[in-house]
Amino acid sequence: MSTVVAPLETGDLGTRPAPRYRFLRELIRKKIAMVAIVLITIFYLAGILAPWVSTSDPNYQRLTIEERLDTPSSEHWFGTDAAGRDLYSRVVYSARTTLIFTLVVILTGSLVLGLSLGLLAGYRGGYIDTAIMRVGEVLSGVPTLLLMLAISAAFRTRLNDVAFWLKDNTFLGDDARAVVPFLIIVGAALPFAWIGSARIVRSQVLAIREQEYVLAAETIGASTTRLLIRHVFPGVLPIFLVGISASMAGIAGGEIALSYLGLGVDPSTPSFGTLLGNAGGVRTFQEYPHMLLVSGIPIILFFFSWNLLGDALVDIVEPRTYRR
Amino acid sequence: MSQGLAGYVIRRLLWTVPVIIAISILVFLLLRLAPQDPIDSLLGQRYDEEIAQRLRQKYGYDRPLHIQYLKYVQNLFQGDLGVSTKHGDFSVAEVIIPKIRVSAGMGIMAIVLVFGLGIPVGVYAALVRGSFLDPLIIGFWLLIDSIPVFVSAVVAPWLFALQLGWVDLTYEGVLHPNIILPVFVMSLPGVAGVARLMRASVIQVSNEEYVRTARAKGLRERTVVVSHVVRNALLPMITAIGLSLPGLFAGSLFVELLFGIPGIARESLQAVLGFDFDVVLGLVLFGSVLFVLANILIDIAYGFIDPRIRITAARGG
Repeated sequence: MSTVVAPLETGDLGTRPAPRYRFLRELIRKKIAMVAIVLITIFYLAGILAPWVSTSDPNYQRLTIEERLDTPSSEHWFGTDAAGRDLYSRVVYSARTTLIFTLVVILTGSLVLGLSLGLLAGYRGGYIDTAIMRVGEVLSGVPTLLLMLAISAAFRTRLNDVAFWLKDNTFLGDDARAVVPFLIIVGAALPFAWIGSARIVRSQVLAIREQEYVLAAETIGASTTRLLIRHVFPGVLPIFLVGISASMAGIAGGEIALSYLGLGVDPSTPSFGTLLGNAGGVRTFQEYPHMLLVSGIPIILFFFSWNLLGDALVDIVEPRTYRR
Repeated sequence: MSQGLAGYVIRRLLWTVPVIIAISILVFLLLRLAPQDPIDSLLGQRYDEEIAQRLRQKYGYDRPLHIQYLKYVQNLFQGDLGVSTKHGDFSVAEVIIPKIRVSAGMGIMAIVLVFGLGIPVGVYAALVRGSFLDPLIIGFWLLIDSIPVFVSAVVAPWLFALQLGWVDLTYEGVLHPNIILPVFVMSLPGVAGVARLMRASVIQVSNEEYVRTARAKGLRERTVVVSHVVRNALLPMITAIGLSLPGLFAGSLFVELLFGIPGIARESLQAVLGFDFDVVLGLVLFGSVLFVLANILIDIAYGFIDPRIRITAARGG
C-alpha cells in the first residue's frame, strides 16, 4: 500500500450541495472545458454520422491525373490522396474508427476491467489486492508500444485465414476483413488500458471505505455489492472520469500509432494513422501539404480537447491547487 | 535509517526478480506461439522446407518450448542474450548496445530539455495564477503536447530545414548539431506534463504554513519563492524524472523512424516485424529492468532528500 490517503474534508457538509452535482456545475462554469466538450462532441458526431455527413465513398478511387492528389476544392473539401480518394470522407470515417476504438477500449478496459478490479482490490484487500496490483506492475513494467507491436505482429500472420473463416461462418460477411485487425489492436491495448483506472479507483476506495457513511452502511448490514455500487462507486466516479479523460488521448493515440506503422486497422478502413502515414515525409509535405494538414489538424484538435478537458477536470477534483 | 534503506532496496530488488521472470515468460510465449517464426521471416519468398528445418535446428527452435525457455535463461545468466537471426548471427548485445548508446544520448538531452523548460514554465504559471496568463501558458503547452510526433516530425524538418535552411537533416551521430531538431521534436510534447505537475506542486507548497511563516518574518518575496516554495516543490519532480527514463525508450520511435536515427526504438520495430526472437526479448528485458531500476532509484532519492519519508515494509504496492 504505497498510497498515503488524505482524509476527505468532512466539515460543513450541510451547507454545500451534493458533491455529484457540484462536479457537474463546476464543469459547466468552466468555459475552456465547455469548448473542449463541444469540439469532442463534433468529432464524435462526425464519426457517428459518417455515412450521412461524408460526401463520397471513402474508398472510391479516382485514378486520373486531374483527380489524384487534388488540392481542396468545392468538390473535394479536403482534396484527394494519391489514389484519388476523397480526403474529407476519409477523415470523417477515420473519426468513426477512433470513436469505435476508444469506446470499445474505455468500456471494456477502463470501465469493466479497471473499475471492477480497482473496486475489488481496494475493498477486499489482502491477497486479491496484492495479486491484482502485482499483475498491473508487471504489465506497466513492459515497454507498452513494443509489446503492443509484438501482440499485433504476432496475431497478424494468420489474419487472412481467420477473416475468411469469419466471413463464411458468421454474420459479419465482408466486414470480417476489417473486424479482425480491429479486434487485434483492441486486444493489444486492453492489457494496458485497465491499470491506470484500477490504481485510481483502488486508492479512492481505500479513502472512502473508512468514511463514516460507508462504515455506517456496513454496520447496518448492507451487502458488499450494495456498498460498492451505492456508497463507494459514486464517490469514486469524479476522479475515475478524470482518469479516463486523461488517458483518452493515449488510447486513441495507440491505434493511430499502430495503424501508422501498418500494424493497426485493415488498410481499407480509414484511420488517422493510415491517413497520416499516407501523407508521407518531408518531401511529400512540401509538394502536397494538404494531405498532412487535413488529417493532422482534426486529430490535433481531438487530442487538445481531451487534454484541456482533463486539465479542467483535475482543477475541479483537486480544487486546492486552483484556489487562492 | 541507512540500515532500513539498504534492507528496503534489497527487498525491492528481490521483488523485481519474479516480475522480470513473469515479463520474460509472457513475451517469450507471445513470440513463440505466434504462427510465424524468425525462419519464415528470414526466408520469405525463398522458403524451402529443408533449409527451414536445418535453420530451426541450428537456432534450437525445433525443441519443446520449456526447453527453449530454460536454455534462454541459462544463457542469460552467463550474460548471453542470444543471437539475432536478422543481423546475420551477430549476438544480441552486439546488435543492441550501439543502438542503446544512440537512444540514451538523445534521451538524456531530451530529459534535460523537458525539465529545463517545464520546471520554469510551471513555476511561472503558478506565480501568475488567477490571471489570464496561467491558462494561456498551460494551454499553449497542452496544444504542443497534442501534436502527434509523426506530424511534428514532418512539419518541423520542412520548416527548419527546407524553408528556413537552419539545419541539415542527415544523421551524423548523437554529438553532431544535426541532432538538435529531432531532440526538440521528441521533447517538446513532454513539457506540458512537467509544467502542470510543477505548477500544482508550487501551488500546494505555497499554502504550507512554513511559507506563511517565511513571509511573516519579513523575508523578501524572491527569497520566499526561490528557497522556500520552489525548492520544496521540486520534490515530486524526482518521480517525474525517474518515470520519464523508460518512457523515452518508447516515445522516440517515430522520431527515430522519420529522422533516420539508428536507435533502439527503430531496432525494436524491425525486430518485432522480423520476429527476431532474441532481439525482441533482449529489448523487452532491457526496458523492463530500466523501468524497475528507475522506480527503485526514485524511492532511494526520496529517502535521501526528504528524511520525513520513512520507508517501511508496507510500502511497494
